[in-house]
Amino acid sequence: MIKDVLVCLESSASTEAAAKTALQIVKAQGAQLCGLAVIDEPNIRAGAATSIGGASFKHERDEALLAEARANAAKCLGAFDRLCRAANVVAETRQIIGKAGSSILREMQAFDLSVMGRDANFHFETEDEDPATRSYVLHRSKKPTILVPAAGQPVWKRVVIAYDGSSAAKRAIASFTDSGLARDLELHVATVDDDGATAWEMADRAVAELKQRGFEAALHNIVSVETIPVALLETAVKLGADAMVMGAYAGYRLVERVWGSVTTDLIDKTTISLFLQH
Amino acid sequence: MSRAAEAVFATPVWAVLPFAAYLLLIALLPLFFGRFWESNRNKLLLGLLLGAPVIAHLLGRPGGGALLAQTALEYVSFIALLGALFVISGGIYLRGSPTGTPAVNTAFMVAGALLASVVGTTGASALLIRPMLRANERRKHLTHLVVFFIFTVSNGAGMLTPLGDPPLFLGFLRGVPFTWTLRLAAPWAMVNGILLLLFALFDVRAFRRDGGHAPLPGPSAPAKEPLRIEGSLNIVWLAGIVLTVFACGTWGPTLLPNAHLRCVAQVVVMVALAAASYRTTARAIHDANRFSWAPIVEVGVVFVGIFITMVPALSFLEERGATLGVTQPWQFFWAAGALSSVLDNAPTYLTFASLATGVADHGAGLLSAANLGMLAVHPTGEQLLAAVACGSVFMGANTYIGNGPNFMVKAIAEQHHVHMPSFFGYTLWSAAILLPLFGLVSRIFF
Repeated sequence: MIKDVLVCLESSASTEAAAKTALQIVKAQGAQLCGLAVIDEPNIRAGAATSIGGASFKHERDEALLAEARANAAKCLGAFDRLCRAANVVAETRQIIGKAGSSILREMQAFDLSVMGRDANFHFETEDEDPATRSYVLHRSKKPTILVPAAGQPVWKRVVIAYDGSSAAKRAIASFTDSGLARDLELHVATVDDDGATAWEMADRAVAELKQRGFEAALHNIVSVETIPVALLETAVKLGADAMVMGAYAGYRLVERVWGSVTTDLIDKTTISLFLQH
Repeated sequence: MSRAAEAVFATPVWAVLPFAAYLLLIALLPLFFGRFWESNRNKLLLGLLLGAPVIAHLLGRPGGGALLAQTALEYVSFIALLGALFVISGGIYLRGSPTGTPAVNTAFMVAGALLASVVGTTGASALLIRPMLRANERRKHLTHLVVFFIFTVSNGAGMLTPLGDPPLFLGFLRGVPFTWTLRLAAPWAMVNGILLLLFALFDVRAFRRDGGHAPLPGPSAPAKEPLRIEGSLNIVWLAGIVLTVFACGTWGPTLLPNAHLRCVAQVVVMVALAAASYRTTARAIHDANRFSWAPIVEVGVVFVGIFITMVPALSFLEERGATLGVTQPWQFFWAAGALSSVLDNAPTYLTFASLATGVADHGAGLLSAANLGMLAVHPTGEQLLAAVACGSVFMGANTYIGNGPNFMVKAIAEQHHVHMPSFFGYTLWSAAILLPLFGLVSRIFF
């Protein structure tokens, strides 16, 4: 069972959806909730090659961006506090100053579950998008993380478990069932493989694993001309699923860089929440 | 080089090292020790520390004291001009908000390209970058706009007068005639013309990506407010600066034959014009421009070290210019440009102009780095000086650190949430756009 949940706050629409999802979870599980805002001062103040006369402009730029980051953090924490009050949930709020990736990761390790907006941008002052922080924490976190897109539903009824037989996928099933989130949900196991027999065998193993943990699940072997992420998401949408459970980043980093990553593709394309376990 | 050959030269190799070290530290310290470099006191201490052995060396040489005094006067003149242009351009504010269409943006760029030779690249950049960003604040893709602004307004445009860019003013202070820079009009027109054309094409493409229609005016300036100049009295002070510099260069030697007195008179007029501008400009205009003394104080502090350590380096190059292997104009263009890309272009200009003196003179002792006016009228020296001027001014755009206003524009753009490329990302832009263009300049003109 989950005892405490961390929500990583910033100002994207997906973070608002993440906060609502976290609220549902703590209400259902009676867990503690904490909202975290990060001011990435080291990133803003990072050294830069400046021309002569440029140091004062850099100082002015840093101060302006830092003031904006502080105001933004205060605004996000305020909005989160109001959301919690409206839902009658007592929540703690934290504001920390540090590098976004490492600070969030450090905090995440102290909580049973973390929830984050899919489009969260912790470097909004200097970057249009910030997939780096998300990638940093998801590659390193030992605890499960729920990634919520802007359209993600806070209340889950039906969940698809994407299973490829990897140890990360097995850990995802274990972590999801142990969390108590699977209780009362309609579960589906989906496998994708060119060889039908292998896919069924894989799915059977997942269902057996779930059964051992006291859960029933329907089997789906997907044969599709689409890529694995697209095929999985199409199946999830067809089933009316509210979330997908999966092992995250099971492969080597170098392979990911060369061939791409199913996890990254799924994160980029998803319209439903993802429960990820590295 | 043999010991006997070394003995012929007056300037020892070690005396050049403080200059090289200081320029390297200026480039590297902000990157790795940003907090340390923020302090002007630290910059000054570093400059004096590296300058101390140079001062000792010069004072031990006959005529060294006079050389130092001459350098000090040159420094004061240089900072007085930069400061005056800084104060006066900081008192002019463009109010209103035209909508950022490709036509309006190109018009901004053309205005900047013309203005830069009068108010300096720093003044033109400070004057135009904020109104241009305001005009485009509803557009999403603006990186190209700021990058091309740096290429043209902050660098390539300031070629036509000594007021345009600090290296050219340093040349003027060392005797290059005021109107000499006009002979660089052809490369100036080619570089800026091609850049403006490319910018227009980039902007049309980006405009279409942003939806292809005129963006709504931003919240900071209502739509119906026409574009207008506030603080227009500063145009008079600016004309005073142009006139003073022109008069000093053209009639000065006749009116005031003593060069030191002429220099002092020029400084006094500059300071008076700057003071008049500061006193007559409304506080609201300075606030709107976010006017602060910090940048010019920083420039003043850093150039103390540069001017001191530069003295033996320039003598060294003047003495040994003919033996260093850089002899052709195209070599001067690329060598001065390469160094200008990573170091400030003002000391780079003087370094290579001194080298050009040595090359053109063939060791005859007729030309001197202290009087570049002779080089500017020398049959081969003129071509070398033109190559140095073009290389130093144009290629200051190659990186964020090549010229003073580059980083200023980047920092202001980032405050307006324009996503700017990293140091190396920006260098890729310049490698793709500027290097082929400079190749063309080198082929045609040098």
